[in-house]
Amino acid sequence: MKEREDRITRQSFMKTAAVAAAATALGSALKPALRAFAQTERTAQREGDGEWKSTTCQGCTSWCSVQVYVVDGRAVKVRGNPNSKVNRGNCCARCHLSLQQVYDPDRIKTPMKRTNPRKGRNEDPRFVPISWDEALDTIADKIMDLRQNNETYKYMLMRGRYSYMRDVLYDRMTKIIGSPNNISHSAICAEAEKFGPYYTEGLWDYRQYDVSNTRYIILWGADPLSANRQVSHYLSVWGDVIDRAEVAVVDPRLSASAAKARQWLPIMPGQDGALAVGIAHIILAEGLWYKDFVGDFKDGANKFVPGQQVSEEDFEERHTHGLVKWWNLELKDKTPEWTATKTGLPVEQIRKVAIGFGRAAPHAICWVGGGPAMQVRGGYTAMAAHALNGLVGSVDNIGGTLKANKEYTLQFPAPDAFLDEIAKAGKAHKKIDQRGTKAFPALKEGKPGSAVVTNNAADGVLNEDPNEIKVAMCYMNNFTFSCPQTDRWERALSKIPFIVHLTTHASEFTHFCDIVLPSVHHMYEKWGYVKAIGNAHRHVTLLEPVIEPIWDVKIDETEIPWLIAEKLAERGFDNLLRHYQEYIDPETGKRPTNEREFALYSLKYATHHLWDPAEYKGGDKFTGWEHFRKTGVWNSDPYPYRKRWSNMATKTKKFEFYSETLRAALIAHAEKHGTTVDDILETCKYQARGERAFIPHHEEPYLWGDEKEYPLIHVDYKSRLNREGRSANCPWYQELKDLDPGDVPWDDVAKLNPIDAKKLGIGDGDRIRLISKTGQIECHAKLWEGTRPGTVAKCYGQGHWAYGRVAAKEFGKVPRGGNNNVIIPADYDRLSGSTAFYGITRVKVVKA
Amino acid sequence: MKSSEQQNQSAPWRMVSRREFLKAGGAGAAVLSTAQNASASERSKPKRLAMVIDLQRCTGCGGCVVSCKSENNVQRGVAWAGREIRTTGKFPNVRFEFIPTLCNQCENAPCVKGCPTGAMHKGYGDITMHTPKKCIGCGTCIAMCPYDVISRNDEDPHRHWRTGDALIKGCTSSPEEVTGRVKGNVVPYYNDAKEESAPGFGMRYKGIVEKCTLCDHRVKKGLLPHCVLSCPSRARVMGDLNDPDSAASKLLAKYRPWRPKEHLGTEPKVFYVRSFNAGASEYTRGSV
Repeated sequence: MKEREDRITRQSFMKTAAVAAAATALGSALKPALRAFAQTERTAQREGDGEWKSTTCQGCTSWCSVQVYVVDGRAVKVRGNPNSKVNRGNCCARCHLSLQQVYDPDRIKTPMKRTNPRKGRNEDPRFVPISWDEALDTIADKIMDLRQNNETYKYMLMRGRYSYMRDVLYDRMTKIIGSPNNISHSAICAEAEKFGPYYTEGLWDYRQYDVSNTRYIILWGADPLSANRQVSHYLSVWGDVIDRAEVAVVDPRLSASAAKARQWLPIMPGQDGALAVGIAHIILAEGLWYKDFVGDFKDGANKFVPGQQVSEEDFEERHTHGLVKWWNLELKDKTPEWTATKTGLPVEQIRKVAIGFGRAAPHAICWVGGGPAMQVRGGYTAMAAHALNGLVGSVDNIGGTLKANKEYTLQFPAPDAFLDEIAKAGKAHKKIDQRGTKAFPALKEGKPGSAVVTNNAADGVLNEDPNEIKVAMCYMNNFTFSCPQTDRWERALSKIPFIVHLTTHASEFTHFCDIVLPSVHHMYEKWGYVKAIGNAHRHVTLLEPVIEPIWDVKIDETEIPWLIAEKLAERGFDNLLRHYQEYIDPETGKRPTNEREFALYSLKYATHHLWDPAEYKGGDKFTGWEHFRKTGVWNSDPYPYRKRWSNMATKTKKFEFYSETLRAALIAHAEKHGTTVDDILETCKYQARGERAFIPHHEEPYLWGDEKEYPLIHVDYKSRLNREGRSANCPWYQELKDLDPGDVPWDDVAKLNPIDAKKLGIGDGDRIRLISKTGQIECHAKLWEGTRPGTVAKCYGQGHWAYGRVAAKEFGKVPRGGNNNVIIPADYDRLSGSTAFYGITRVKVVKA
Repeated sequence: MKSSEQQNQSAPWRMVSRREFLKAGGAGAAVLSTAQNASASERSKPKRLAMVIDLQRCTGCGGCVVSCKSENNVQRGVAWAGREIRTTGKFPNVRFEFIPTLCNQCENAPCVKGCPTGAMHKGYGDITMHTPKKCIGCGTCIAMCPYDVISRNDEDPHRHWRTGDALIKGCTSSPEEVTGRVKGNVVPYYNDAKEESAPGFGMRYKGIVEKCTLCDHRVKKGLLPHCVLSCPSRARVMGDLNDPDSAASKLLAKYRPWRPKEHLGTEPKVFYVRSFNAGASEYTRGSV
């Protein structure tokens, strides 16, 4: 391993030296221009009369910088932006699908209003077209009503996907109107995944993985060749990665990544934590931990003997905290035999993976995806699996797990001066998602009640707890489809008297709305930016209007709030408009005077330090805004390895196997509610008591449904074509559905192992019904050996009943297949506020 | 090779060389120009363009399939770049395999031999080409092809884009309306680059067959096929088999390739190397 490390270091040294030499010779101002020129040379291939224009694909959270080939104002095809150091000219199949999204005939082309006052799944909204003026006047009147009645806290903003322009609408507008209720989608994404790294290394964030320099990768319910983050980067290097590294995939179903891995560990759903502590046990018992990071026994003899307590005095830790406590409290009895019983995996395979992983230290990655984390007790599983990175010293290390590189974007102007007394009083109310209550600690970054509990907002609305909601604005979200136990959202939305949806398509959410505002397609028609990490770099990539929209659509995050601000000002409340006028164009010093200027100036404002050479802080350098805009992406400096060892954002600054950070957070939450940590854990459905609450440990999965009545466990996962649930109306999505291993084009199948199918008398292609405690869906059966017996695997993405002519079998009425979220009960990993999708639902399968 | 060269010469619409195209300076001119301008050296060293697909690099992402549809305006239900997908074995010893497929550009192409009109013929770089004007849609090529990569248009393509119905009256549009607004051609994201290949080849039409022509409209300009550039996994490598230093030749020298149905003697020029299911095998002597 030493050898490899040297090679990397030498390489990066040479690179640095060369750049330095170039900079000295030519003057630093020339450097980026030269770099950009070189890239253009390499990739410039004349195609015809069109032009490749830079923008960003938000088809998944990879957020690749991409380019669109535009001929006479018409988008023709797409490719990765060669200027990015993160996705490096690559994009995946999802990006191509965007062509069928932007030109989807089912896009909304005009503002519309509901004419059927009754709301419900079976009520046709009877939408009719209206003018922007009428739509905005109606919205402004509703907001003014709330303000006049001192009820601004009954306003709610729901956000789905976003760009980093989000705070204009999500934060500033909600605050200045005077509501605490800006509810993001984050907790239906993978917040529980962040719980692991935060309570071990102080990082509440998604990681990047240095796969090109690693020797071992364990993928925990992550399928980076399909979904997760930086897919196109991983696609581009994987063929080489598997030459150098052994890949083991922990997943109850044969995923795309498992198909290319050496080891597939088809684990019992929900038992990932057992495997993680089992691997930790073997690594310690075999003496394979990375001593340069973790430290060693003072006398050098390994005292981690299975079943035996170890004295803390005997071990000297280096960059970690609490290893011996972890062993004594959790690991000492977690033998391979115990692990095999829990996980349903063979002892030999468990030992092989653990020893292989330990021997690869420190270039060994535990990649914790949403799978093991987004479960009812998943926060601790995320901790346990991520703690293995601490054991092998791969945290912040070459070939290991890394945080984001530094970037230099700016926050928008502060709203405080524009909050009047009504707003301040309104904002002081409790949030509708009930975060911070006893049953929802939602411990983001160590602070009780700081994480969103997205899916619980439906219950908050339904129960008027803490209060009723009268006006809701919602954008780029579809919670009636994307949140488990969808019927609660249908009822909650039916209850809210006035809802505005900012969207490209009429969706299952729109079905319950009163005013619908047609929004731009983010990749083709919008100004914005996002930040993404990968390949040991970070990029800030621009969303740009590369084509003129066909219809009168507006930008959801900037233009629409501006237009509402104007309407509010007309009604005597000009605070929001005056606030937005502070977003001054750094290039010209001009204040925005209309929505179009505002959209552009606010973006230039936020990215000012990236493109203005006078404000240069690091990474790529540009000659000015126009240069940045054309290039489309800013790249950070390369990753500074091992800078965080013993300098982590934890209580002890160390990597914590015994989390003092979690201990403090749990105590703070317990004290807030005048009770004990044990009581909190019981309330929140966790099994740990006492000291075990503060260490990564195994918890049994919390499954809804009795095994006798619901014999199979549902395995949910995301399609590699999903574009976050928005692409099912693209014919290419349906045609290519078999790219998801086991799936069938133009169909939605539940995959049963032939053993279970035989027992149930179900044949391949049979129409079946999946029934859980909370709902039922219909789809077709697929007999597939890639499914673990005892489970039924079904991909999320199909089952739309109102997302266009292709996605739904009959628009507004009959779904194509079934939406997994109908059968998944609404439950939570309450410590992180996350919604559970995996290892939660027992089902019975019957012929339909 | 000789026969295909002759066919090329005799084709009335002519394929043009990259040099010629550049000289002519545009698509319109290119179609009209003739192969007689090609230099003697170019004619004496014809290319045999091949594609090598490195299955270890392939991730089964489908980038090739969808980007081909985008580049070549391929209609719903038809795939010039396709895939063979297999799951074999019994749990937990299961293998999932993804094999990207396309027209194999056979040296002894049965479709060319069988075509009664010369519509299917050999062109630049020994690409198996198709001339819509000559095609009578008899389907002999489809019957002859052992690889099932040719399809026939029983109706005008993209019928789903040829409708005028809106989902929500007055609020959403129709396929025809979208295409009309952006001045596309049946599909709004229509790519007219394919017209450079042959008139009528941009969209194809009812009554003729169609298949992958290895992005001849790009290749002749010195551009890689769109599926090759769009493969994020870098699994597709193009090269000239007559050039031992081409990237494709080098790969074929390094790894033992295989081709589908080799026993038929079609001599495909699409080669596969390495395995989709990579990684070291478990050490064992097995048992008896």
